[in-house]
Amino acid sequence: MNSAKAKNLLREMGPLIGLIALFAVIALLNDRFISPSNLSNLLRQVSINALISFGMTFVILTGGIDLSVGSILALSSALLASMMTSGMNPELAVIVAAFIGLCLGAVNGIIVAYGKVAPFIATLATMTIYRGATLVYTNGNPISGLTEDPIFHALGQGDIAGIPVPAILMFIAFFILLFILNKTPLGRQTYAVGGNEKVSYIAGIKIDRVKIVAYAITGLLCALAGAVLTARLNSAQPTAGTGYELDAIAAVVLGGTSLAGGKGRISGTLIGALIIGTLNNGLNILNVSSFYQQVVKGIVILLAVLMDRKKS
Amino acid sequence: MLKKLVIACLLGAALVSVSGCGSSDKKEEAAASGEKTMTIGFAVSTQNNPFFVTMAKSVEDAAAKANIDVKIVDAQNDPAKQSNDVTDLIESKVDVLIINPVDSAAISNSVIAANEAKIPVITIDRSADSGDVVTHIASNNVKGGEMAAEYIVKKLGEQAPVAELEGIPGASATRERGEGFHKVADQKLKVLAKQSADFDRTKGLTVAENILQANPDVKAIFAQNDEMALGAIGAAKSASKDILVIGFDGTEDGLKSIQDGEMAATIAQQPDKMGEVAVETAQKIAKGEKVEKSIAVDLKLVEKQ
Amino acid sequence: MEIDMKGICKSFGTNQVLRGVNLHLRSGEVQALMGENGAGKSTLMNILTGIHKADAGTIEVDGKPMVFRNNKDAEDHGIAFIHQELNIWPNLSVLENLFPLKRPRTRFGFIDFKKMREIAEAKCKEIGIELPLDEIAGNCSVGQQQMVEITRSLLLDAKVVIMDEPTAALTERETDRLFDVMRQLKAQGVAIIYISHRMEEVFGNCDTITVMRDGQTISSKPVGETTMSQIVKDMVGREISEYYPIRTVTPGEEVFRVEHLTQPGVFQDVSFSVKKGEIFGVAGLMGAGRTEIMRALFGVDPHKSGKVFLHGKEINIKNPLDAIKEGFGFITENRKTEGLILDFSILKNIALPSEKHFANYSCINSEKEYEFCKVLADKLGVKTTDIYQEAKNLSGGNQQKVVIAKWIGMHPSLLILDEPTRGIDVGAKKDIYDLMNELTAQGVSLIMVSSDLPEILGMSDRIMVIHEGRVAGILSRKEASQEKIITLATGGK
Repeated sequence: MNSAKAKNLLREMGPLIGLIALFAVIALLNDRFISPSNLSNLLRQVSINALISFGMTFVILTGGIDLSVGSILALSSALLASMMTSGMNPELAVIVAAFIGLCLGAVNGIIVAYGKVAPFIATLATMTIYRGATLVYTNGNPISGLTEDPIFHALGQGDIAGIPVPAILMFIAFFILLFILNKTPLGRQTYAVGGNEKVSYIAGIKIDRVKIVAYAITGLLCALAGAVLTARLNSAQPTAGTGYELDAIAAVVLGGTSLAGGKGRISGTLIGALIIGTLNNGLNILNVSSFYQQVVKGIVILLAVLMDRKKS
Repeated sequence: MLKKLVIACLLGAALVSVSGCGSSDKKEEAAASGEKTMTIGFAVSTQNNPFFVTMAKSVEDAAAKANIDVKIVDAQNDPAKQSNDVTDLIESKVDVLIINPVDSAAISNSVIAANEAKIPVITIDRSADSGDVVTHIASNNVKGGEMAAEYIVKKLGEQAPVAELEGIPGASATRERGEGFHKVADQKLKVLAKQSADFDRTKGLTVAENILQANPDVKAIFAQNDEMALGAIGAAKSASKDILVIGFDGTEDGLKSIQDGEMAATIAQQPDKMGEVAVETAQKIAKGEKVEKSIAVDLKLVEKQ
Repeated sequence: MEIDMKGICKSFGTNQVLRGVNLHLRSGEVQALMGENGAGKSTLMNILTGIHKADAGTIEVDGKPMVFRNNKDAEDHGIAFIHQELNIWPNLSVLENLFPLKRPRTRFGFIDFKKMREIAEAKCKEIGIELPLDEIAGNCSVGQQQMVEITRSLLLDAKVVIMDEPTAALTERETDRLFDVMRQLKAQGVAIIYISHRMEEVFGNCDTITVMRDGQTISSKPVGETTMSQIVKDMVGREISEYYPIRTVTPGEEVFRVEHLTQPGVFQDVSFSVKKGEIFGVAGLMGAGRTEIMRALFGVDPHKSGKVFLHGKEINIKNPLDAIKEGFGFITENRKTEGLILDFSILKNIALPSEKHFANYSCINSEKEYEFCKVLADKLGVKTTDIYQEAKNLSGGNQQKVVIAKWIGMHPSLLILDEPTRGIDVGAKKDIYDLMNELTAQGVSLIMVSSDLPEILGMSDRIMVIHEGRVAGILSRKEASQEKIITLATGGK
């Protein structure tokens, strides 16, 4: 193996090595961290951020960014909750909510693609609009006491063979998206558009369509994450998802995806989300004061990005 | 050019129509009940939280009952917006200002501005760091923290292992509720963990899950608000543990959870009562009566009946 | 001020751009500097003004050796360079543009606008121009902006002014005014180096003409002692090298026809046709509109009017996807920004426009894809260890081969090549020429835009020359010569 290949491999493995190191340190400090029940707990907690981050990966790969993820989550969650309180079949409600998320995301994509608005600005605007719409719709109150339906509750709290249902959902989404990105023309085009929009356009790729699909996928995944969150709390919070865009961007960046677009892997994002989840969980387990927690999180993100810079 | 003009017109029309919807019903009310005796301005921190929604509603109701005109402005949790809001209220020459500050430090200049305009100021729920405030109306948070700790002692006995979910780090409610809780708990209970969940239900759930993983023998959780308590209940449920969860505030969801037998108790604030007291006090001030420098609105321990 | 540059040499990497250039400039002289694109004119001027450092040679100013450390240093010594891309702060007023750095101050240290205005007005009067001092510079015409730059350099006491193709973007009236100003400057003893491709202007306004070719000074003569045809000969000089393969393909029937293609301000009334298996060369100066015409044909840029026919049937191309569906390929001028995705592997770059060939049920068949790309990469002789290597690590010649492979892979019937051999080494060039020949033998029609005259002459069956957005002439292989092309391209008859 030549040195270039070794370097490449190191870069690919960097986030994973970081995650393992983090695991080892926390486990050394408190052995409850690696108890099976906490690991399953950890996966359950990671799944929401991971689902959103997967979508964010798509958008960032096209060279965009989506700040509205938290707001889409909140709005679709509120609509999901009210559909259920008005007596709709919970499973059907989840499907409808997912479709609503898809549409909200597609709106982002349409503004970016056809409106030629910078993604940061476009989604900053829709972030505010969707959040506002959520507050208008819920009147600022949580919607609770949704349903007794066991399948819906399992979406948040259930286990299958010891693995939390949200985590199973996360893995299913992961493999589907992994397949799309690596094996389909759509995935190839997603990378191409982010890699060089002009080249892609000249090569006959429908750039607008690729962008809209990326944002729509993100919207769909946000709505799914929203459904999991709703099921976990058996209620919809109007302020749910505030600040989630930052966690998602952090996960994507930690996973080695370039914010400039065109370069990155969804497997890296999964690891990035695991790193952030592990930090949150681990710092709680270690009973670290909340003042220090924020400092630690910031430092880890900075370290990861700096290391990535050095390697390249 | 034409395009810009059209957009400007549309925006203008949208603004007019929105403001129109907002105020129409109040105008009708005013017409029905004749001349108003005085005007109160109420700057509320947010309408994003049921607690403040209830508070604002009670101010509105109490004012309507007393035939007082009330202008309510919502800062949407933005200190800068609140400063503008208060300036607007001062400009519209209200008789008394009731302020529910977003941030105790940031509101000070607005209070001073009101002082200069000779408009008496009442703060509610959160205080102002400087400026002349006639009176401050608040729940007694320290006392509430003590009540929660004593309730746990009463239910589980001394030295019971407990965990605490804190609010947003540094917020006054976090400080005061924690202070009161620890005043009692440090003597009579074993606090195994204390972690922040930012007054948020989702975070309350995950942080409580994590705490229960690290400390499986926790018997009670004190959450500094009901939202976090509701999250903690979810965590206790999924860990299949019987844990005494005590909340704070007494929100609608919190009270319902108590009726359902899930939350053990909450230290209920009474936002409706705070609103009423604020309007009453404002009337007194307008009439030139003397009022106390600080008015503590009672907290109420609510259990399942 | 007198300038004497002797034996200037300069290399960029392995590419030697200047090989012992001499240039002599007297005060009050207007000297034209001519030569083909890439002859080394700009590099020479960049060395004179301290932007680049010479590898060898001396510069003497008024008899004293002198090396300027940077652009600013040269300016301080009275040498100003007015680039083709004007140096204007579009959001500032003309007055502010005239005083970019050293502005007169009042006693209190504030900017003294009154004084600035006085100085500026005096200078304008001196050279006989009027400038709208309070106008925002971005709103001024290009001609006015140029005057602003000239005035600015004179305010800095420039004794030598270098102008790089100053009339390229000017209207006729603006051009006339520029020459008036140049005569004023000359009368005041300012020396001017005037870089231009336009014969008439050069012969009408300059004292001396210096011709450069391949990084050397070929001739430097007073205007009276030379002729246009002599200058063209000096500029072109060399024989066409051997390595152009002999064209054996006889073009067949007409397959592609363009009628009256127009995009106002860019190109007008462009009509031509291309035959089956033909190499159709497109020549012209930089900025003449060649690339823009090709981009419009491929749907990358818009065009306002005109018709395009393929096999006698009118087609309407609105975007590159339409063009690809019609069987067009487009090898763009700039491979790094428009030809390749640098972070993509060779394989992914080649596969980009041809995905439908190896995607079944919207899933990429990796084996088929590898096979497809490997065959193409091998056929073009892309020198690489494996085709999973990232494109950015390849040499220029190999990158260009990847771009060509990408378009050949989609089996085009018409392939547009914009500067296909720019900046690549001789060996790779030869490979590309051989491939072009092979493609035409298979019946593919090629349109090749090139600024390399020997290449155009060596490869094309017919040559269309573009001058300022219009077709100046279409020459057959037999009648074409470098002199004819240059004459047409520079607006001569």
